[in-house]
Amino acid sequence: MWNYYFKLGLMSLRRNPILTSLMVLILGFGVGASMTAYTVMHVLGGDPIPHKSGKMFVPQLDTGSAEDYKAGDEPDLQLGYLDTDAMLRARHGSNRTAVYGIAPIVDAQRKDLPPSGEAGLAMTRGFFEMFELPFRFGGPWNAAEDDAGSDVVVIGRVLSEKLFGAEDPSGRSVRLADRDYRIVGVLDLWRPVPRYYRLLSGSSPTESEQVMVPFRNAISREWRNDGWTNCNGSSPDEPGFAGFLKRECNWIQYWVQLNDAAAVAEYRDYLAAHLAQQRKLGRFKRPDNIRLRDVREWLAFNDVVDADTRLQTYLAFGFLLVCIVNVVGLLLAKFTARSGEIGVRRALGATRGNIISQYLVETVVIGLAGALLGLALSYAGLLVVDHYSFESAGIAKHDPWMVAATVAVAIVSAVLAGLLPTWRAALQVPALQLKSQ
Amino acid sequence: MELKPILKTLLRNKIGVAVIAAQVALTLAIASNVFYIVRDRVAAAGQPSGVDEANVFRIRANSYRDIAEPMAQQKMDEQMLRTIPGVRAVAMVNQVPLGQSGSNSGIFVARKQVQSTTNAAFYESATSMVDTLGLKLIEGRDFLPEEYLETDGEPPYPTSLPIIISERLAQLAFPTQSHFAGRVLYRGSGDDATELRIVGVVEQLTTPWGRSSWGSQTGSESVITAVRLPSSSPQYIVRTQPGTQTEVIKAAEAALVKPGDGRILEPANSMLELRERRYRNDYFLSSMMATMTGLLMLVTASGILGMASFWVGQRRKQIGMRRALGARRSDILRYYLLENFVITSLGIGIGVVLALSLNFFIAEGLQLARLPLDNLLVGMLMLWAVGQLATWFPARRAAQIAPATATRTV
Amino acid sequence: MLTMKNLSKIYCTHLIETHALRGFDIEVREGEFVAVTGPSGSGKTTFLNIAGLLEDFSDGDFLFDGASVRGLGDDARSRLRNQKIGFIFQGFNLIPDLNLFDNVEVPLRYRGFNAQERKRRIELSLERVGLSSRMKHYPAELSGGQQQRVAIARALAGEPRLLLADEPTGNLDTAMARGVMELLEEINSQGTTIVMVTHDAELAQRAQRNVHIIDGQVSDFDRNISLLRPRAAAVAIPA
Repeated sequence: MWNYYFKLGLMSLRRNPILTSLMVLILGFGVGASMTAYTVMHVLGGDPIPHKSGKMFVPQLDTGSAEDYKAGDEPDLQLGYLDTDAMLRARHGSNRTAVYGIAPIVDAQRKDLPPSGEAGLAMTRGFFEMFELPFRFGGPWNAAEDDAGSDVVVIGRVLSEKLFGAEDPSGRSVRLADRDYRIVGVLDLWRPVPRYYRLLSGSSPTESEQVMVPFRNAISREWRNDGWTNCNGSSPDEPGFAGFLKRECNWIQYWVQLNDAAAVAEYRDYLAAHLAQQRKLGRFKRPDNIRLRDVREWLAFNDVVDADTRLQTYLAFGFLLVCIVNVVGLLLAKFTARSGEIGVRRALGATRGNIISQYLVETVVIGLAGALLGLALSYAGLLVVDHYSFESAGIAKHDPWMVAATVAVAIVSAVLAGLLPTWRAALQVPALQLKSQ
Repeated sequence: MELKPILKTLLRNKIGVAVIAAQVALTLAIASNVFYIVRDRVAAAGQPSGVDEANVFRIRANSYRDIAEPMAQQKMDEQMLRTIPGVRAVAMVNQVPLGQSGSNSGIFVARKQVQSTTNAAFYESATSMVDTLGLKLIEGRDFLPEEYLETDGEPPYPTSLPIIISERLAQLAFPTQSHFAGRVLYRGSGDDATELRIVGVVEQLTTPWGRSSWGSQTGSESVITAVRLPSSSPQYIVRTQPGTQTEVIKAAEAALVKPGDGRILEPANSMLELRERRYRNDYFLSSMMATMTGLLMLVTASGILGMASFWVGQRRKQIGMRRALGARRSDILRYYLLENFVITSLGIGIGVVLALSLNFFIAEGLQLARLPLDNLLVGMLMLWAVGQLATWFPARRAAQIAPATATRTV
Repeated sequence: MLTMKNLSKIYCTHLIETHALRGFDIEVREGEFVAVTGPSGSGKTTFLNIAGLLEDFSDGDFLFDGASVRGLGDDARSRLRNQKIGFIFQGFNLIPDLNLFDNVEVPLRYRGFNAQERKRRIELSLERVGLSSRMKHYPAELSGGQQQRVAIARALAGEPRLLLADEPTGNLDTAMARGVMELLEEINSQGTTIVMVTHDAELAQRAQRNVHIIDGQVSDFDRNISLLRPRAAAVAIPA
């Protein structure tokens, strides 16, 4: 029976090609626009590390001054050096990392390659494991090098290919800010969206860091943060970088891995104890205000999906709604024009169910055609968005889920649009007369 | 033409009318809010920076070797830039308007104040920024040559600095005053806050971030200090004679960094480039939204056209009858146009309510003011026009139905 | 085949109640050919709609093929129509988008026959009306008489027990009308009960029995007449 309905649907759609293409076009545009916007939101708001997102936490401590404290104030998103240093040494949690942005100038010491500025990260080696960085050659620096802050570096694939071509440069050296660093590893392409490991970053959201050096190394070389630095309270008495490290400036992103609820509770206790101890040294003048957010909470708290993106998505779905209402009108007209046929079919023994099925199949056929068009349009739309918002980095793109969702949205939209007209058609009484105009 | 027969006919076609009215209502609600957002964005992106934008560019050099005498290097750079033909003024600064990176600080009106009055961008300029950016002084004066301070940025810090501020900041700090030169502000609070003596006020100077995307700040709260600090990556702003920027940039890029001096050049950015980069997303959002609204109008027009064509087709015989009974072509045409006007007006009525409630939610999210009525009015006029236009074609076809149609069967 | 007792049908609009049928009694036996006549608005079409299970009635009782159809659901009525009743309309009511084959196929599809059985029946019934060579043609390509033959073929394809015809020759010229009438008589002679509504007295004469409806009731006068009249048609065409 279903293929009979399908055949009738196709026949009916073919009979009125202009009306049919109009419906498909309108549905396709609605679906294309809404799924483009929704995909962008989905990409930006996605969980970048689903299997681990509940185990990785960002601790926040409130180093603000006591005078302007208001209940409910959020602590800074980053930590200062004093707390970072203490927390790294205490080694609580099953893994941890401190990270900040650097902008070293890389000199290959080749005539044909002038020195160039690169975006980079200074971080402890826990970063590689926690964020599951893919290595193309070599691996992370070892724990001793991490603690000592040795002159070792992991470089990104892009930089590696620029400097050394396809070969494995492990063991060779590269000059960073006029000093030789030994290359221990080369990363494969790694560009999580969103850049959850460091949301408050200085460089553009599409540029991936190509130079990674040990945190202690960057500190000892007095490399300043290339990114957001927020300072509270009075200036230090000590000059230079050493003075900066002692100031209440927050500029380091800290992550800790806690594998279960007990570990989380234990870590909170540790942070509370750390605060109590620091208070004795005259720090932390505000009441305890410890936050420990996992990846999802962190992304939500930081509004990774900005208001503009959400607004576009709402607008696009509003557009889809108008498209659906439009198709309701067109189907209504189409089905009303065929009321005589329905009367005859009913007289010849079609049940209401037969009529409903026949018309729903017809709308599903429209939905399928709309899905194809919508899919094509959303591909085009995402190319445009990717070009303008992400510098064509291939960030805004479909995944299999979004393709399935696009088809589903198109069919559901078509069926929604077909419900009222189909219901009206089914109410048509069986008739002995084909009413003629 | 009377309304009564039209209303009666429409009452018998309730669902068709409802479908069209719903489309008109949704379109009006969406379109008027979109106009509003787009207008807001375009206005923000076009907000003047106070800078002579057509003739100013930024250029910087990053060093990767320790420079023995950074201050001397800066002065050499400035001097070199000044010798390029076409250059009017050069200044080393810590940040540039719309450059999207820089520093800002809490500003206090009194030393004992707990909460800062506002945040303001802190420009540090080693020579006259007023001259180099082409800012317009509306009160007081530019810094005197002896006011420029050379410091290594380490303690002890100066306790008092002369400043030039934007009028916007002045109004925020002293809302009841009209003269600001000679007044004092503070950077930070408490005993070690830095005293800031206002010596001049410029009409406008935008911050490195321009308009905040959340609309909560105007992006025009700026402070200029007369300070030269050592920097491993100094940036220079250069103002050129009109029409010479391209050549000056070429010459500056060629001359600023020499091979082997341990520095790399960051290509120059004109102020216009910086503005484009800063508001790129806003322009993109605006054009996306405008495109979508255009499509929305098209879809609605096609809906109206489709429904009107269908009704005309359905009523062929009736129309022929009317013609046979003496209706003129223009009567038929007017009938359909009036019929559409009634339906569109119904949709617009619902749409106004919808638009205002939608605006309520959007305004919350984006912290925008309420929908101005002129946006709504523009939307209404557009929909009436779209409705009449879309009805015109089927109505004309209706008017051309021959009176003889009445007597024909099938 | 059809038994209606004290049947009434009332149409309600928001102002007036119209009694389309009242105290309506009729009995049509298996194999009969009954012509229903009456003036415009007398209730002929209402009777046919109720007989064909297209419309429900307000009161009274109606036995179709021995079983009461009172309170029968929409689906059950559809099934009965599909299996036991064939319709022939004044306006032929062919579906213009479908060719002859597909038109005749419509009731068979709803009957649930497989493709082979459908094909067999379509070919058989189109042959019976003499149009088997035109299977791929569309209704618009045929004359009125041919279209009505297709409609008859469609009605016959499901081998109904009852054929309801509403002014089957109303849109046809005399020659075509005669052909259609002869076809109906032949069908009746093979055992199918036929009830035909017409206002053409000459056609009505050819039926075995005439029922005259006036003002929503079967006129007693006609009932008596019909009982007295010899079964002319049955004589004219040998079984």
